[in-house]
This record gives sequence, C-alpha cells and structure tokens, in this order.
Amino acid sequence: MTTHTTPGATPPVPGARTDWWRGRSEIFVGLLTIGIGAFVGVQTLSMRVPDNTSSPGPQFFPTLVTVLMLVAGIALIVQVVRRPATPDTDGPRSAEELAQEQTGAVGAIIDGHHEESRPHATHSDWATIGIVLGTLVLFTLALQPVGWLLSGAVLFFGVTYAFGGRRILFDATLALVFSSVIQLAFVAGLGLNLPAGILGGIL
Amino acid sequence: MATLDLLMGGFAAALTPANLLWALIGVTLGTAVGVLPGLGSAMAVALLLPVTFKLDPTGAFIMFTAVYYGGLFGDSTTSILMNTPGNSSAIATAIEGHKMALKGRASQALATSAIGAFIGAVTSTAIVAFFSGVIIDIALRFGPAEYFALAVFAFLATSAVVSQSMVRGLIALSIGLTVAMVGIDTQSGAARFTLGVPSLYEGVSIVTVTVGLLALGEVLHVASRIHRSTDQSREVLRGTGTPWLSLADLRRALPAWLRGLGFGLPFGAIPAGGSEIPTFLAYGSERKLAKMRARRGKGPDEFGEGAIEGVAAPESAASATAGTAMGTLLGLGLPTSATAAIMLAAFQQYGMQPGPLLFERNGDLVWALLASLFIGSVMLLVLNLPFAPLWAKLLLIPKRYLYAGITVFAVLGVYAAAYSMADLWLLILLGLLGFMMRRYEIPVAPVLIAVILGPLAETELRRALAVGQGDVGVLFAGPITLGIYTVILLAVAFVGVARARSRTRARKEETAPSGTVPR
Repeated sequence: MTTHTTPGATPPVPGARTDWWRGRSEIFVGLLTIGIGAFVGVQTLSMRVPDNTSSPGPQFFPTLVTVLMLVAGIALIVQVVRRPATPDTDGPRSAEELAQEQTGAVGAIIDGHHEESRPHATHSDWATIGIVLGTLVLFTLALQPVGWLLSGAVLFFGVTYAFGGRRILFDATLALVFSSVIQLAFVAGLGLNLPAGILGGIL
Repeated sequence: MATLDLLMGGFAAALTPANLLWALIGVTLGTAVGVLPGLGSAMAVALLLPVTFKLDPTGAFIMFTAVYYGGLFGDSTTSILMNTPGNSSAIATAIEGHKMALKGRASQALATSAIGAFIGAVTSTAIVAFFSGVIIDIALRFGPAEYFALAVFAFLATSAVVSQSMVRGLIALSIGLTVAMVGIDTQSGAARFTLGVPSLYEGVSIVTVTVGLLALGEVLHVASRIHRSTDQSREVLRGTGTPWLSLADLRRALPAWLRGLGFGLPFGAIPAGGSEIPTFLAYGSERKLAKMRARRGKGPDEFGEGAIEGVAAPESAASATAGTAMGTLLGLGLPTSATAAIMLAAFQQYGMQPGPLLFERNGDLVWALLASLFIGSVMLLVLNLPFAPLWAKLLLIPKRYLYAGITVFAVLGVYAAAYSMADLWLLILLGLLGFMMRRYEIPVAPVLIAVILGPLAETELRRALAVGQGDVGVLFAGPITLGIYTVILLAVAFVGVARARSRTRARKEETAPSGTVPR
C-alpha cells in the first residue's frame, strides 16, 4: 500500500528518482498555479479594453492577482522541494489531531507549542474517483435528451456503485425512487423546470 | 422604545403559521446537515436557493437563517456521542465532549452544548436587534477605501493568519480571486477571461463554486479513500441518568458559556472564515483557566478527562458567531461566513441589497427575520435537547446512499439555479479542484471568501483610486482604514513570531531525546 506513489503524479523513472518524487507530487500544484497565473497574465495583456475607460481600468486588478499567483506558486515549489510531505497515517484521526490540523497558527498561539505539521502524502483511489466522475459526465450529457428521471437515477446508482454498493437491484430501485421523489417535490411542488426528456410524453 | 416596537412588529409577522412552518423546516434541515459530517449549512442554503423563485422573501430568509442556526446546534451531537464532528466548528467540542460521554455523562454534555448554543444564538441576535442603529451608523461612515480595507482584512485573515500554511492559503486566495474576475467587468464593460464563451459573461455563480468545492469536492475526496478507510466504530454512546444539569454542573458551565460569548460575538462580525477560530480560542482559554485554577487549589483540572467547560465555551462561541454574522450581513452588506455569502446571493436574486438602506427599504423583512431567529432558537433547543440521540442515528445511513444523495442534490441545485448546462460542466471542474485542494491540504475557505469579496474589493479599490486620481494615499486616509490596517499588521506580525518560535522549538525537540517533552 505504501510502496507506490500517486498514480498520474509519478514519472516512470526507477530507483532514486521515484523516491525523490514521493511526497513531492505537490510540485504539480505549484506548476498548475504558475500556469494559471501565466494564463491570467497573458489574457490580461491581450485584453480588449473599451476606449473610454477611466483609470484604473479592468487590467489593474488582474495584474495584482497574476503577481500574487506567480509568487505563491514558486514559493510552494521551493517549500515542497525543501520539505516533502510526511507519509500518510491510515485510519481515522482523533479529534485532537483534527483540531491541530484545523487551528493552524491560532492553535500555535493557544497551545504555546505546536509543531508545524507537514501535509500528509496520500494515495488516491483513482478507480473510484473515475467511476464517480464518469457518471457525472454521463449525467450531464444525458440530462437534456433523456430527462431528469432516468439520468438522475443513473447518477445516484453510479455513485452508490463507486462507493462499493453491490446490491445492484436494490440500489437501482432506490435510485429510481429517489429521482422520482425529487421530480415530484421539485417539479410538482416547487415548480422547477427539470428536463422531461424521452419520458416527457408519459408523465 | 422604538427598537422594541419594531421587534414586536417583527414577531407579529414571524408568528404566522406559514412563517413558523418555514422556520421549523429550516431548523430541522439545519440540524440534519449539521449532524452529518461533510455537510454544512453553507451547502444546504446553496441547494435551497432555487426556492427563491417560488417563496416570498420573508419566508425564504426565515428558512435560510434557520438552517444556518440549526447547523451550529446539530454539529456537536455526533461530536459528543461518536467523536465524529459534524462540522469543523464542532471539533473543539468533540475533544472534551466525547470524553464526558465515555464517562457516562453524555446527557450532561449534550445539554451543556444545546444550552450553550441557545445562549449564543439568543444573545447575539439580541445584540444585533438592539444595536442595529449603531451598526447602521458605522456602515454609513464606510466609503470605498474602508470597504477595500475590510476586504483585504478578510483575505489576509483567512489565507495568511488562520490557515496552516501561508503559501497554500495565498494560492487558495489567488484561485478564488481569479474565479471572481471571470465575466464582464461591470465598470468598463470589458470581457475578462471568458475565452469567448457566452455563458461565462455573467461570471461564475457563487452557488456553483460553493456546491462544487464543498459538496462535490467532499464526495470525490471520500470516494478516493472509501476503500481503505478502516471501519470507524459506529457505536452511539447512550446518555444515562437525567438529562438535566446538576447545580454543580451549572455553576461551572455558566461562566464558561459567557466567556465563550466573548470570543464568538466579535468573531462573527469580522470576515475570518466562520466559527472555527473562536471555538478553538474558547477551548484553549478554558483549558488554561482550568490549569490556573488547579494550581491555586480551586477545583480540579478535568481537561483531558471530560471537562464541562470544554463543551460549554466552544458551543456558545460557535453559535454566537451566527447572530453577529447576520448583523454584519444585514447592516453592512458584508458576508463574514460562507453561509452569509450565499444569503447575500439570495438577497440579490430578490433584487435587494443588504446594507444600511435595507433597514429602511425592507424594514418589515429585517425585523420579521430577527424575530424569527429568536423563535428558531427556541425550536432548536426543543429539537436538540431531548432528541439528540435520535439525530445521531442519521449517521447510520450507509455512506454510499448518503454521498449518492449529496451528488444528486448538488447537480440539481446547480442546474435549477440557472437552468444552464455550462454550469454543470463548471460544477464538475470545480469539484475536481475541490478534491485536489483537499488532497494537498490547501484550505477552501480563502477561495470562497475571495470569490465572495473579490468583486467588492476590486470595485472599491478602483473607485477609491479614481476618486484620489491615482494617489495611493487615499487608501490609508481616515481613522477607520488606518485602524483596520494596523490590526492586519499586528495579526500578521504576531502569527509570524509565533510560527518562527514554534519552528525553533520543534527543531530543539527533534534534537532532544523524544518523549521528554511534555505535551
């Protein structure tokens, strides 16, 4: 369980390089931040500004944000390279640990001493996330042509399946009941317009 | 007394059967989302926003605020009974509350927390009602420079002072500001960061951001760990004996409740990211006080074994923030918590602008709302005091159904808010962003604060600079702005020193043999 690092964040290099990347996959967050910062900067420079705009114009604030983003992104990379994440601890964390994680600097002030905790390296279960995301995309594509009743039920079912539900028939029935109840409550009760789709004629 | 007359008028409006029903629905729903971990009142109100199309504003806001208050009552129940905080605002309660429950004093812990929440809610609402005139006076003195200073305060407080890592907080802040800038610039009409997509011209809705980051992000986060989390014990501790506090308990809890108010009331009014910080401050100060009392031989230091003060103070602090947050929202138009921010969006849907003028233009609504907060607090006390163990049963819902339901409600809420398919794609993207942020422990609160206050900060900054004709000095003119910036500087310096000190101490601990350092 702890022998492999995060899939997708690890380049396929054996030996020492792999070890170096363990706990440092957050570098990609820094790179992403710099990337977004660069995008915002380029967009700001190439922005079409209406002629009669008073100063400071629409490019002023984005420039500030661009600088902030670039600086923060670089700072994060430097920080992660110098202090990689600690290995994850499995199992639920106690309230005290949670409290320490949440309080941050204020906790340090209260407690007097408070070891600056490093972020935990975790391994994500991409298969489960994939099913959830896939169902979401399927739902979004199907909502208008197929209608709320069926696509909502598919979404509910997909998430229960991803979370390990294997009582297929029961879960599918529950999903249909759930989306029907929502249809009744929100369309009939509150007057929302949910797409009826292919079942439009029947309902 | 004019205020009292207005409040009585408010009670008359709030006591209609329909409005009582909305309050009851709100408190029930709020308690439920408070009890369930990972769900909060911000998300619940965001998902309820579509009702604004059907409901009259008074009914809708009575329900929204009831959800807000209910979330702060409900979150401590599972903290105490199962050591599973329903929200981050109940983590502090869990520390001593669960230990009380383990000692067979679950009923007393629940009563202490429910009464504490009630005291916090009622006191803060009363302060807002009776000092509304003062709030309006202050608000009228606020110009562009003052509002900008407040926004800067909120940005730095959530990202740099409160969060664990300053760099991660600032990254979150800049992401939020970027999201806030998308769309047509209201002052010049220039399209910004829309990539030519027409549905982005109106910007990214706060509902989509909240639901994506909080709800969908949480679903994906739980999904990423569901197959390896060791099964937590789902045992609900039972309360034994009378649920009533003995006189000795009351004598210890009462001062703690009042001290909790001292932390909660001011923190609700400043935009520092919700109610977690005051609860931890209240908890920490109670622990220190107990240690001092024990040293002077005045009673035992029960902290670590279930001290009633450790439950009382954080609970009254948490719900005291709700009232003053509502006051700041109504009087200044400034949202200080995520839930308040979504209510601001609801006000805008009705074409109302919270601020000093709201009390004049929509006085009926404001006073009915304030009156219904008192009624809601009483309802919540009744719902939570005897029935707390019943609420904890909500956790017996299997995780897969719970999260499937959350996912469906998330897409429903976002779709129904604008009937836009683009919003659904955006929701999925924001859910992924929320997941990534949880994965790398980047705080979410600064993103929300930045999305909410970003437009205000930009508008007021440009307005102030335009008035001063480019002179940066106008931003620091006037006692209010100077005061705000001084507080920011002091807070940042204080935290910086505390951080540096804890770092050197940690280094010393690493070199010293382990186990010798008292914790």
